[in-house]
Amino acid sequence: MSANTDNKNNDWVRLTSNDGYSFLVRRHVACGSVTLKNMLSAESSFAEAVSNTCHLDERGAVVERLCEYLQYKALYDNSRMKKEEIPDFLERLPPEVAIELLMAADYYEC
Amino acid sequence: MWKADLPKPPVGSFEECARCSKQFTVTKYTLPANPPPGYLCHLCAKASGADPFKKPAAPKKRKPAGERRNIVSFEERRFPTLASMCIDVISKYIDDVEALGDIGSINMDELAKSLARNRSLTPHNAQLFYNVQNTELTMYDATNLDPPAFCTLAVFSPNLTHLRLDYCGRMSDEVINAWSTSLPNLRRLELLGPFLVRAPAWQTFFRSHPTLEGFLIVQSPRFDIECMRVLSESCSGLTELRLKEIGQMSDAFLEHMKILGGHLTYLEISKPGDPNALSEQALVDLMTAIGPSLTHLDLSGNTNITDGFLFQGLKPYMQRLTSLGLADTPELTDAGVAEFFSTWADAAQQAGYDPVPRLSSINMAHNHLLSSDTLVALLKHSGASLTDININGWKATSQEALKSIADNAPELRKLDMGWCREADDWVMQALMEKCSRIEEVKAWGCQRLTERCPRKRNVNIYGVEAQ
Repeated sequence: MSANTDNKNNDWVRLTSNDGYSFLVRRHVACGSVTLKNMLSAESSFAEAVSNTCHLDERGAVVERLCEYLQYKALYDNSRMKKEEIPDFLERLPPEVAIELLMAADYYEC
Repeated sequence: MWKADLPKPPVGSFEECARCSKQFTVTKYTLPANPPPGYLCHLCAKASGADPFKKPAAPKKRKPAGERRNIVSFEERRFPTLASMCIDVISKYIDDVEALGDIGSINMDELAKSLARNRSLTPHNAQLFYNVQNTELTMYDATNLDPPAFCTLAVFSPNLTHLRLDYCGRMSDEVINAWSTSLPNLRRLELLGPFLVRAPAWQTFFRSHPTLEGFLIVQSPRFDIECMRVLSESCSGLTELRLKEIGQMSDAFLEHMKILGGHLTYLEISKPGDPNALSEQALVDLMTAIGPSLTHLDLSGNTNITDGFLFQGLKPYMQRLTSLGLADTPELTDAGVAEFFSTWADAAQQAGYDPVPRLSSINMAHNHLLSSDTLVALLKHSGASLTDININGWKATSQEALKSIADNAPELRKLDMGWCREADDWVMQALMEKCSRIEEVKAWGCQRLTERCPRKRNVNIYGVEAQ
């Protein structure tokens, strides 16, 4: 079990929001977002890559939904799943965060 | 062919094969040898590829017209992106303002950009941006807005003073006519792609907005000389004018622009429908009339511009110029432009212009004759104030000159040095170290940049091929 988590692509990374919340997700899940993938990429010398932490300038509620989507994407975005089997994510999006989440989704490219 | 054109021997008789000289019986399937003369036995005929037993190819049946065009809509079911789902949610709740939370604190401009990136701005969710109190509105991609939507825009945002619409191709005469009355406070109009609007509609609009200060359009084959005349007569206080990619552009247009001198600060007449449309002399004449008040001038794409224009049109008359665009004017020579920049400051000082005009933005892309001398002279003249430099295509510029950019332009924010073949990692390093405000470097086609090219946080470097 510990050998698995030491695997470069499967370790935990921390996403923090601007109001103090922290979210832990697997690295390959976070890499569903192109921007986060670049920030965490080991070849870049960004501070995030070294510390495995990304600071997102969004509220905790927004980051939470973002993580939820990234998890959803990691689980279901593959060619094996048929369209009918994938559960609907749309109904899980509350309208209150929709606008902020849209701008975050745009920035983090997911 | 006529020499040995024997008719086919009767079926049943014996013949000698033209290839293998074996005897064979002539049948109705016997094929002549190619080249003639003679006939081939069955084996040789098949070997040469012409199979006598093959039925003639049946004519392909065309699909009945009804079934033929099955246009697959662009929106196939890909895995939904978060952005598209958010847009769906917003569209669903758009009429229930409270449900969407506190819109006031959100940066509506960023939201507009997000919607544009996904090409999701529709007449329905454009309502988010309409607001009676709104005075400025920018839509970065109005492709999906039809004429009624544009009219609605004006009805719900009647107090607009500044309006910018990119990709507004579906805008029609009726829209402009409606705006003539429904947007009374409009002072600045910036449109990309209003090609459907006809001349009379433009003229009506100008006459109804005599206080118009900014008129910037890109791409219109219908904007004609009459429109130009009405514009300059009705809107005499115009300060910003952009007529880019105008099909009917000609010297005659420039005549009408002369009366705008004194107020006009921003002029762009780039990429006319015909690159030769504007003569150098007419441009020089125009500069005498409006030069002194200009801060921004862009004449890119006018291929008649030569070094002479710089000396006769710019040097004597430019007092306040800070931004110059002369891209795609390949007649400019290295020696000429270099001399222009070396002597401009002195000439301006002698003419009594105080302060001497220094450039903050320069775009001379795709002028392949320009090179190190020009760059050095340019940096000497305006280096301290330059923030945007575009020298894309100055292929012979030396590495030394490129390195000196960093030394001489400490305020530099954006640089395009695409296709400057001598650009290498040292140039990039100098830029990263000495230009503290650098934001963006475009280096397409710079083969000497390696994967060790230095990068800096928050600086976008585009075009490095080695990764």
